[in-house]
Amino acid sequence: MAYEAQYYPGATSVAENRRKHMSGDVEKLREVSDDDLTLVLGHRAPGSDYPSTHPPLAEMGEPECSIREIVEPTPGAKAGDRVRYVQFVDSMYNAPSTPYFRSYAAAINYRGVDPGTLSGRQVVEARERDMEEIAKFQLETEMTCPALASLRGATVHGHSLRLPEDGIMFDMLDRCRLENGVVIMHKDQVGRAIDKKVDFGKPMSEEEAAKRTTIYRVDNVAFRDDAEVIEWVHTVFEKRTAYGFKPE
Amino acid sequence: MVDSASNTENLIQIEIFPRRLLSPETAKELLVELSKIEGITRAFVQGPRLPVTVPYGPATGQIVNHKFSDTIRIGETDISLAVIVGRIRLEVLNSEIRDNIREVCERLLPMGLEFREGLFLPTRQTVSDYAKRGPGADPTVLGLTDPKGKVGNRICTLNPAE
Repeated sequence: MAYEAQYYPGATSVAENRRKHMSGDVEKLREVSDDDLTLVLGHRAPGSDYPSTHPPLAEMGEPECSIREIVEPTPGAKAGDRVRYVQFVDSMYNAPSTPYFRSYAAAINYRGVDPGTLSGRQVVEARERDMEEIAKFQLETEMTCPALASLRGATVHGHSLRLPEDGIMFDMLDRCRLENGVVIMHKDQVGRAIDKKVDFGKPMSEEEAAKRTTIYRVDNVAFRDDAEVIEWVHTVFEKRTAYGFKPE
Repeated sequence: MVDSASNTENLIQIEIFPRRLLSPETAKELLVELSKIEGITRAFVQGPRLPVTVPYGPATGQIVNHKFSDTIRIGETDISLAVIVGRIRLEVLNSEIRDNIREVCERLLPMGLEFREGLFLPTRQTVSDYAKRGPGADPTVLGLTDPKGKVGNRICTLNPAE
């Protein structure tokens, strides 16, 4: 019997969205070109080669190792890319994703990545071209709303603040702005001005954000509305308590 | 303006907490309307700080030029906003003025607001106040300064002649 991966319990829209994010089966909503992505990440000049920290693996003469034979290196590792990061911040006002679900998406669907979850932000470290693939995937799909989530390498402050009047998550470095109905980024993720404005498209309407969010909220879908989730959470807590952290 | 802090017993303190952070235009509109109401003794504007330069990270020291950073003019006084307005705390003389303020807020803030009454501004000198300003400090400025700022900055008197 073919195994079908199960990601998250529950029958509500939030549970369904959580399953989508974890499985990587998300809808593509917008296009971000490679040059634009490179500009906002700010690690290298658009169009330039990937700087490397070691020669390509094929030229290095790797030692004999059965694991190396089994595991195909990622393109970035193969080419010897530097390790670089991308960091996302999500608003608590019905942002499509949350730090944990960004980490699940990266860890389950990509290899050679190091996702880190903090209270309001999520960082993925990986070889440069692998990291860019993940960043692009998250930016282009329904995992990101340009108004309620943004790329922030430094000063992540803003995710738990009220939204400003225009609905674009507060950013003290003012990287994102609403211009002519679309969200543009005119600085890179750490706040350095960039040569051109990068268009991330229209922000989601409040209704759409509420429909696509993975956040349980009492003013949208409450956590306690989902009986199956509650049951599983209780099961996990019960087992943890019964067996302790070190079952013997 | 009325001398307040030396006699604070009968004064009412209120807090206006809009559902969204206010843009400089809305903040200006609201503050101008509030400044027209007689009987507000002290006002305090609070919100997330808008830095002038990037404080840390690889871009440290670069100019931010924030879209919400603006200078607003109330009467004859220019106020440069160092924060995006998130809440306004006021000290007023009586409950009639409080009701007027509530009416103005409900008219100018379509996004909705919370309107609270309580104790939001210190009425007596704290230890930090004493350390900063010494024993003979002006009681009207208690709790009105930026805790991270230099002593005396960011306090505006709207009608200094009075």
